[in-house]
Amino acid sequence: MDSASVKQAIIRQVQTESNVANSRELFEAFNEHCFEKCVPKPGSSLSSGESSCVTMCMDKYLAAWNKVNASLLQRMQQENKAAGN
Amino acid sequence: MDTTTIDTADLARLNESDKAELRTFIEMENQRTKHQRMAHGMTDICWKKCFSSATIRSGSLDGGEATCLANCVDRFYDLRLLTLKHLQNSRTQ
Repeated sequence: MDSASVKQAIIRQVQTESNVANSRELFEAFNEHCFEKCVPKPGSSLSSGESSCVTMCMDKYLAAWNKVNASLLQRMQQENKAAGN
Repeated sequence: MDTTTIDTADLARLNESDKAELRTFIEMENQRTKHQRMAHGMTDICWKKCFSSATIRSGSLDGGEATCLANCVDRFYDLRLLTLKHLQNSRTQ
């Protein structure tokens, strides 16, 4: 491997690890919050109502994450601009 | 998944400009990770605030929910700044 391909390999590996960590974090959050929301009283099996609630809950949580991420980014940029002036 | 392993012999092949580029990349990745960790923590907190009583009826956010999340992030950030300031003040006294 030459210098450029070593560099590319390192960048790829770091990005992969970062993506895996991020997905794992979301996966844990889905499980925790959607179990709480959709399965208030665990029965002998997951009902179809509970299953469809979980699917919607995951989509909603992801949408919430994106919204929080965007709001946070906006706020941090504001603060940075205020600190820079 | 990519299973390329990089050993010390590979690292020795990096020239100075690629090393500098990698340092910048790692710095940016650290920032991104820090930001993402904060976003995860805040989603956790704001989900509890904005969705605690509601039953899930759709997979998307309605206007009220989006506003609640945006306010939640902003107020939490205010609180962070306030506690930080308070801690700094009590330390200098």
